[in-house]
Amino acid sequence: MVNKNEKLVFDVIVVGAGLAGSAAAVTAARGGLNVVMVERGVAPGSKNYFGGALYTHSLLDIYPDFFDRKPPLERPVTETGFWFLSKDGMVRMTVQGGKINNNPIDAYVAQRAKFDAWWAEQARKEGVFLIPKTVVVDFIRENGKVVGVMTDRAQGEIYAPVVIVCEGVNNLLTQKLGLIKHDFKGNATALAVKQLISLPAETINTRLGLRSSDEGLAISVVGDVSMGLPGLGFLYTGKDSLSLGVGVTLDALSAAQIKPYELLQRYLNHPMIAPLIAGGQLMEYGAHLIPEGGWSTMPQLYTDGVMVAGDAASMVNAMHWEGTNMAITAGKAAGETAVEAHKKGDFSANTLSAYRKRLENTFVLKDLHQYRNMSRFLHNHPEFMDVYPNFLNDALGMFFTGFGKPKKQLYSDILKSLTSRRPLLKAVGDMVAFGRTVMGI
Amino acid sequence: MFHALVSIKQVPDTTNIRIDPETNNLIRQGVPTILNPYDAHAVAAAVEWKRKLGGQVTVITMGPASAVTSLRECIEMGADRAILISDRKFAGADTWATSYVLSEVIKAIHAEQPIDLVFFGKQAIDGDTAQVGPGVAVRLDLPIITYAVKIHEVDLQNRKVVIERKTESRNEVIRASLPAALTCEKEIAEIPYASLPDLVYSLRYEPELWTTEGPISFDPTQLGLRGSPTTVFKTGTPEKHKGGEVIKTAELGVEGAVRTALDKILAVEGMASLLGVSK
Ligand SMILES: Cc1cc2nc3c(=O)[nH]c(=O)nc-3n(C[C@H](O)[C@H](O)[C@H](O)COP(=O)(O)OP(=O)(O)OC[C@H]3O[C@@H](n4cnc5c(N)ncnc54)[C@H](O)[C@@H]3O)c2cc1C
Repeated sequence: MVNKNEKLVFDVIVVGAGLAGSAAAVTAARGGLNVVMVERGVAPGSKNYFGGALYTHSLLDIYPDFFDRKPPLERPVTETGFWFLSKDGMVRMTVQGGKINNNPIDAYVAQRAKFDAWWAEQARKEGVFLIPKTVVVDFIRENGKVVGVMTDRAQGEIYAPVVIVCEGVNNLLTQKLGLIKHDFKGNATALAVKQLISLPAETINTRLGLRSSDEGLAISVVGDVSMGLPGLGFLYTGKDSLSLGVGVTLDALSAAQIKPYELLQRYLNHPMIAPLIAGGQLMEYGAHLIPEGGWSTMPQLYTDGVMVAGDAASMVNAMHWEGTNMAITAGKAAGETAVEAHKKGDFSANTLSAYRKRLENTFVLKDLHQYRNMSRFLHNHPEFMDVYPNFLNDALGMFFTGFGKPKKQLYSDILKSLTSRRPLLKAVGDMVAFGRTVMGI
Repeated sequence: MFHALVSIKQVPDTTNIRIDPETNNLIRQGVPTILNPYDAHAVAAAVEWKRKLGGQVTVITMGPASAVTSLRECIEMGADRAILISDRKFAGADTWATSYVLSEVIKAIHAEQPIDLVFFGKQAIDGDTAQVGPGVAVRLDLPIITYAVKIHEVDLQNRKVVIERKTESRNEVIRASLPAALTCEKEIAEIPYASLPDLVYSLRYEPELWTTEGPISFDPTQLGLRGSPTTVFKTGTPEKHKGGEVIKTAELGVEGAVRTALDKILAVEGMASLLGVSK
C-alpha cells in the first residue's frame, strides 16, 4: 500500500485527459515511462464537448486493434457533405457510397463524455495513472526550469522532468509559460453551441434516408444557419440522437449583438430543419470554444521541460472539422519525444524541439500552414456565408422550375440573382481567392 | 480511540433520471452512478469526529462490484478501511434482507474492533425508504437517532453521545448511550476537498471483498430475493399537479372573489365544523 506522505514523482505529467492527453500518456507509458495524467473533470470527458466525428486513421494509429476494443461509437459516417441553407430552403450536396465506402469507414460519430472516458481507460490499462477531479494551476520551477506542476489541492505538488500540456482551448497554463501572450483572439475563436436531441433510431433513419442504424450523417451546414456571419452549422447522427449546433466567431457574435442560443434556436426552427427533430427530447445543451486561428494563433509548441498539444496549441482545421485527429497525432508525437528525452536524460527545449520536427512531417503542421489565412479570409469574405448559399438555392430552384419558359430568359434570370447580390467580377475574384486560400498558394 | 462505521450505497444519479412517458418506468440506461449524497455527508461527519478524537472510520457497502468507486470516494474523504459486500446471492434484497446482511457484517467488525457509532445517510435517493438504518439498529439493538443534523458531543469515557435531530416542527437534542446508530441529513457535515496525497491514496486503494464464502457466514434463507418479504406489485408516477382554479377580482370585485373562495372552501365536506364556523 502507498504511503500517504510520499512525494509524488513521475517521469511524465500529462495535463488534461482529452483526446490529446490520453494519446500522449499512453505513448509515453509504452516507452516504459511512469506517467500521471491529471484531469479537472469528475471523469475524463465530463468537461468536453464537440460535434462531432472522430477520424479512424488517428484512432488506429494509437490502437491498431481499435475496433476490437468495442469503443463507444455512435454511427459510422456513410454520408457526408454540405447543406446550403437559404431563409426557407436548402440545397444538399452530399456524397455516399463510392469513395467514402471504405472498410473501415473513415469517420465515426461519437459523444465525448462516453468516448473520452473510454479513451482514458485504454491508457490506464497500459499503466497510466489518472488523477481526476484535480486542476493543475501552475508549474513548479527550479532554477527557472519546470520540474513539475502545482494542483488546486492541499499538498498538491506533482514532480516530473517533463510536462505535456493538453489543456484544450482555455490554455491558461500555456499562457503562464509565456508560450502565447494572450487568450485566443475573438476573430479566430468560434463559440459553438449545440443540442443533443434524442429520437428513436427508426425515426432518424426514416427522416434522413438512412437504411439502418449502421449508416450515419456528418453534415456541415452553411448559409442562413449563421445569419451570414463567419461560421458553420453542423448535424451529426448518433445511434438514437441527433447533434445539431452552430459555431460563429466571438467577434462576429458580439459585433452583430446576437446571442449564441438565439442563433441555435433559429437554426432548429428553420423550416428545413424543424421537421427533422420534431418530437425529439432535449438531452444535452452545451457550448464550447474552438480555436480556429490554426497557424496564426499557434503558441510556441515547446520550451524547457514542456510541450503543448491539441486545442491548447490551436491545432484545428475549421474548414474540415479536424481537431480530434490533430490532437491525437500531436499527443502521440509529444509522448514519443518525452520517451526520447528520458533516454537522453535531457529535457531542454533543444531536445524537445524534436516534437515540432515530428509534427512538421505530419498533416498537422502541413495543413495548419496551408490553411493559415483561412479564418481571416472568411472574416473578410462574409459572402460565402450569405451571397453564395442563397444564390445556390435560387439558381437550382429557378433551374428546376423553369418549365415552359424560354431558357435564355431563365439563364439571364439566374445570372441576375447572382449579380444583384455580388458583381460578376467580384464573384469570380472571390472564387479565385477562396481557391488560393484553401490550397495555400 | 473512536471507531465509526459508515454504511453507504451507490445509487443512480436521480437528478439525471428520466421517466419513460409510455411505460412509466425509470430509464436507468446510461445514467451515471454516484455515492448516495446523504451517505457522503455521513462519511464526512464520521471523518470529522475521527480527526477530533483520534481513531478509525470503516466504510461498508452491499452492492455490485462497481460500488468500489463509491468506497474509494469515502477513502478519499478520509475513511481508513472499506469493505465491499458483494455476491450474486445478495441480489434482489429488500430493506429487510439488506439490513440482515449489514448487521451481520457490523457484528463481525465490532468483534474485531468495537464500534462506537454506526452512521447511515437518512435515505438512499433511489429507493427513498429510509428503512435500512433503523432496520440495522433494531437488529443490533442500538439506540437510533434519525434525521441527525449535528453531533454535539461524543464522550468516549462516559459512553454517551449528544445529537441534534430534525423533525417537521422543531429540532430535538438527544442523548444516547454508546454504541449508537444515526441516520444523517446533509447538514451534519460538509464534504471535505481532499488533499492530493489523500486523493492519490484513495485511487490506489483496493477495498476488501466479503462474499457469502467468507470471511463470515450468513443464513442463506435470509439473503437476496429469498430473504425479502417485500413484493412490489405496482409502480407508477404520481399524477401531475393540476393548476388551481383562478377567481378573478376583475370580474367579481375583491369582496365577491373572497366570498366565492370562502364558499368553495366551506363547501368541502367537514370543513365548516373543522374550522368551527357555520356556513
Ligand atoms: C462544437 C464543436 C464541434 C467539433 N466538431 C469536431 C469534429 O466533428 N471533429 C473533430 O475532429 N473535431 C471537432 N471539434 C474540435 C475538437 O473537439 C477539439 O479539437 C478536440 O477536442 C481537442 O482535443 P484536446 O485533447 O486538445 O482538448 P480537449 O478535448 O478540450 O481536452 C482538454 C482536457 O483538459 C482538461 N483540462 C483543461 N485544463 C486543465 C487543468 N488546468 N488541469 C487539469 N485538466 C485540465 C479538460 O477538462 C479536458 O478534459 C469540435 C469542437 C467543437 C467545440
